[in-house]
Amino acid sequence: TLNTDYPWILNHDHSKQREIADWLTLEIKDFVAYISPSQEEITVRNATIGKIRRAVKELWPDADLHVFGSFATDLYLPGSDIDCVVNSSAGDKENRNCLYSLASFLKRRKLATQVEVIAKARVPIIKFVEPESQIHIDVSFERTNGVEAAKIIRGWLTQTPGLRELVLIVKQFLSARRLNNVHTGGLGGFSVICLVYAFLELHPRTLSADISTTENLGILLMDLFELYGKNFGYDHVAIAVQSDGASYLPKQKNSNLQNPRTSFSLAIQDPGDANNNISRGSFNIRDIKKAFAGAFDLLTNRCFELDAATFKDRVGKSILGNVIKYRGKER
Amino acid sequence: QCPHKWRRIFCTLCNSKRHSRDRCPSIWRSYYLLQGNRRRALAIHKIYCYNCGEKGHFGDDCYHDRSSRVPNEDGSAFSGENLPKQVK
Ligand SMILES: [Zn+2]
Ligand SMILES: [Zn+2]
Repeated sequence: TLNTDYPWILNHDHSKQREIADWLTLEIKDFVAYISPSQEEITVRNATIGKIRRAVKELWPDADLHVFGSFATDLYLPGSDIDCVVNSSAGDKENRNCLYSLASFLKRRKLATQVEVIAKARVPIIKFVEPESQIHIDVSFERTNGVEAAKIIRGWLTQTPGLRELVLIVKQFLSARRLNNVHTGGLGGFSVICLVYAFLELHPRTLSADISTTENLGILLMDLFELYGKNFGYDHVAIAVQSDGASYLPKQKNSNLQNPRTSFSLAIQDPGDANNNISRGSFNIRDIKKAFAGAFDLLTNRCFELDAATFKDRVGKSILGNVIKYRGKER
Repeated sequence: QCPHKWRRIFCTLCNSKRHSRDRCPSIWRSYYLLQGNRRRALAIHKIYCYNCGEKGHFGDDCYHDRSSRVPNEDGSAFSGENLPKQVK
């Protein structure tokens, strides 16, 4: 009998693989295919953004709407919000009046329900649900850094095979454990991408170029959880990412990357500003490290268990299922 | 009277004395290698240490005190041992 807790394994049985690592690689590919949007979902999302964008331009002829975040880089999980930003040539749209006038304009046009205007935050936003598609949308105002980051990430994705798959697995892992929300000290999407990108860039096997990353996703996922769960020197090491590569640097070389309250913190140097730490909001790094270590232990134990089992006992089993809990709608 | 006294751990797969055969990392730590001509040269200028952040060695081979409190008994991927033999 097949377990529907792990829907991505239905009709994708790899229990006859000789190497456990190859089984895990194939299962990662199945999971990524399972959560990737269908052509129909992509069409609906694009049409929805198109409608909002036309409304913004109608209200403010000098303004335009851009998507950024996971939607702009094709790294989103099913049901995630779309992040947009309104930028204008006057640069004057980030004030209370503008936030409220866009909110009521969208409501009048029946493009927004469940509207929330968060005007007092460090980054003021409007949150709403587009009624036809039921997609959740966040709109921020007059910022370009998200759009710049999306450009860098798209470059990494084309140059780094395997990056997309590993990022989606880690995002799903963190989201199931509620460790993906920056407001509660979790890891944001951009930080996750930087961690995975630096891991792939600095892995001995990619440095020596004797493996294809997409054929080794299983072992690489375990290496990744082992690095950030057991070995990485969070007290002393900062990660630096550039549009064309990644490196480490000792934190003592740049005091801006040190957390004034604790030495145990994640530091990722912003490619656009060497004195900015992208992950300074992720104060819950202790639980994140523990969760990664737990994932590594679960995966290795599962590999030992399945390696010792007979082929008959392996049928319909999942390696990833212990680690990745998918609680979304059936797809 | 120590119950561990007579228990000898020994791995027949990799000869390690730190784990038994059924928990040998080599069960999962196996890479599917590219064939000869698809390989490129080693990017030696990109070797960085996860333990101290400095350049030129991997974290497993670091000469500084270990930063993480979690032990690393069997070694990880980030070791000079994990480079192909011809470049070691
Ligand atoms: Zn062994
Ligand atoms: Zn070192």
